Amino acid sequence: MPDASAPALQIADLVKRYPTGVEALRGVSLEIQTGEFFGLLGPNGAGKSTLIHCTTGLAQPTSGAIQVFGHDAIDHYEQARLAVGLAPQDLNLDWFLTVAETLDYHGGYFGMSRRDRRARTDELLETFSLLDKRDERTRTLSGGMKRRLILARALMHRPRLLILDEPTAGVDVELRLELWHYVQRINAEGTTILLTTHYLEEAEQLCDKIAFINGGEIVAQGTSGELAARYGVASLEDAYLELVGRKELSRAHLEVDEEVAS
Amino acid sequence: MSPRQIRFLALVRRECNRFMKIKRQTVGAPLLETFLYISVFGAALGSRIDKLHGIDYVVFVIPGLIMMAWAINAFSNNASSILQQKFQRSIDDQLSSPASPLELLLAFSLGGFLRGLTVSVLTFLAASLLVDLPVDHVLVLIPGLFLVGFFFSQLGVLVGVRAEQFDDVAVYQQFVLQPLIFLGGVFYSGALLPEPFETLTHFNPVYYMIGLVRYGFLGYSEASVALSLAFLSLAVGILFAVNYRLFRIGYRLRA
Repeated sequence: MPDASAPALQIADLVKRYPTGVEALRGVSLEIQTGEFFGLLGPNGAGKSTLIHCTTGLAQPTSGAIQVFGHDAIDHYEQARLAVGLAPQDLNLDWFLTVAETLDYHGGYFGMSRRDRRARTDELLETFSLLDKRDERTRTLSGGMKRRLILARALMHRPRLLILDEPTAGVDVELRLELWHYVQRINAEGTTILLTTHYLEEAEQLCDKIAFINGGEIVAQGTSGELAARYGVASLEDAYLELVGRKELSRAHLEVDEEVAS
Repeated sequence: MSPRQIRFLALVRRECNRFMKIKRQTVGAPLLETFLYISVFGAALGSRIDKLHGIDYVVFVIPGLIMMAWAINAFSNNASSILQQKFQRSIDDQLSSPASPLELLLAFSLGGFLRGLTVSVLTFLAASLLVDLPVDHVLVLIPGLFLVGFFFSQLGVLVGVRAEQFDDVAVYQQFVLQPLIFLGGVFYSGALLPEPFETLTHFNPVYYMIGLVRYGFLGYSEASVALSLAFLSLAVGILFAVNYRLFRIGYRLRA
């Protein structure tokens, strides 16, 4: 029986080894508390997406445990999946469906009644400024609109844990700010957020807590300030550069170099 | 409706919605193709061919055409739909939903099954307008056709899940399925073939399927009806078990 005070996401000793022998996750343990805005940062290939895929059933863990609000997310996953909404990195929309159908089917997959699906579809289309596109096929949408629709789809079944996998990659400034305002609002209303992003300033501004993942392992976690302190640097960006072994790229170094040059 | 029923219905609706949105290609074209077969082999050439086992050639051919329509449509629908969704990764929306492997497998299977059913029923209605088509053993015909439809639905799912490019589906359809169906006796009676081809035909599973459907319509079969039903049920069961295992382990669907 799930504990009411269980964390939103609890991952213990998660290992994912692909048939090729590549070990994408090497015993990851992570806990995200209910209501947190949690950032997962790391270089490409660090294991961020694999971790998300294991949590949402798109990848099968080799070993370890994942619980979402106290529900098993690997074997008896029904309750766990109902609680999670995933906005993936790829614009993986179904070309055959219209904008409204995309939301309607998704709601159906999550067991929402027809009346609820209709009301929620209208609400989300309005929120994401897609009302006038409702009957258009998804492949005709612009990149920004596809990104909005991906987020609306993730929110359709009112998940308690929203996973955003690089949601602002390739998105213009206006839409990025719009998305963050909305996500911050639903976080304030109680939705737990797990965010991966390459924009460190975003993570710094939005996330209560951040974890660094590298080489399939969580190497550090804490608030942005705690991480900077841990690496003995001034900012989250510098902490990240320390992590990936590229501290020569630090803006602090660049400023010193410029001063020397002048 | 319970959330589980809503979920399953949504999964099936998605599959039907896909083929209905391109119905000129998925329903219209196969219907025209079957109509052309009936016209050429029935009306044009049929009058020059003797009766087969006391049955007019055009009438002899139609049950096989109905079966072929169901088989090819069930197969190609499921193989293409799954591969397309894998390509777009839009299948992740279903895979990350609470749906069980069994629900997913049944829903993907039903898409092609229902498309095949639609084309077959329309073919039957069209053929009935053109010729006097008897239905002698409806209690064999309906389970027989359903088993054939389900078998090829499962085969389509299997090929769609395994396929990594569109060529994989086309190769299977053109180089395996079409020859098996054509050589299974859609257009002729196996008894007309010289040896060793007559004996070889007996190793073609489609031969028994056509026999079953032909018996349902015309009351004539070259193979044992009971044996054909048992064989087909077993084949469907094995194929379903293989697919269920693939969906459980997420073979080429989940990383």
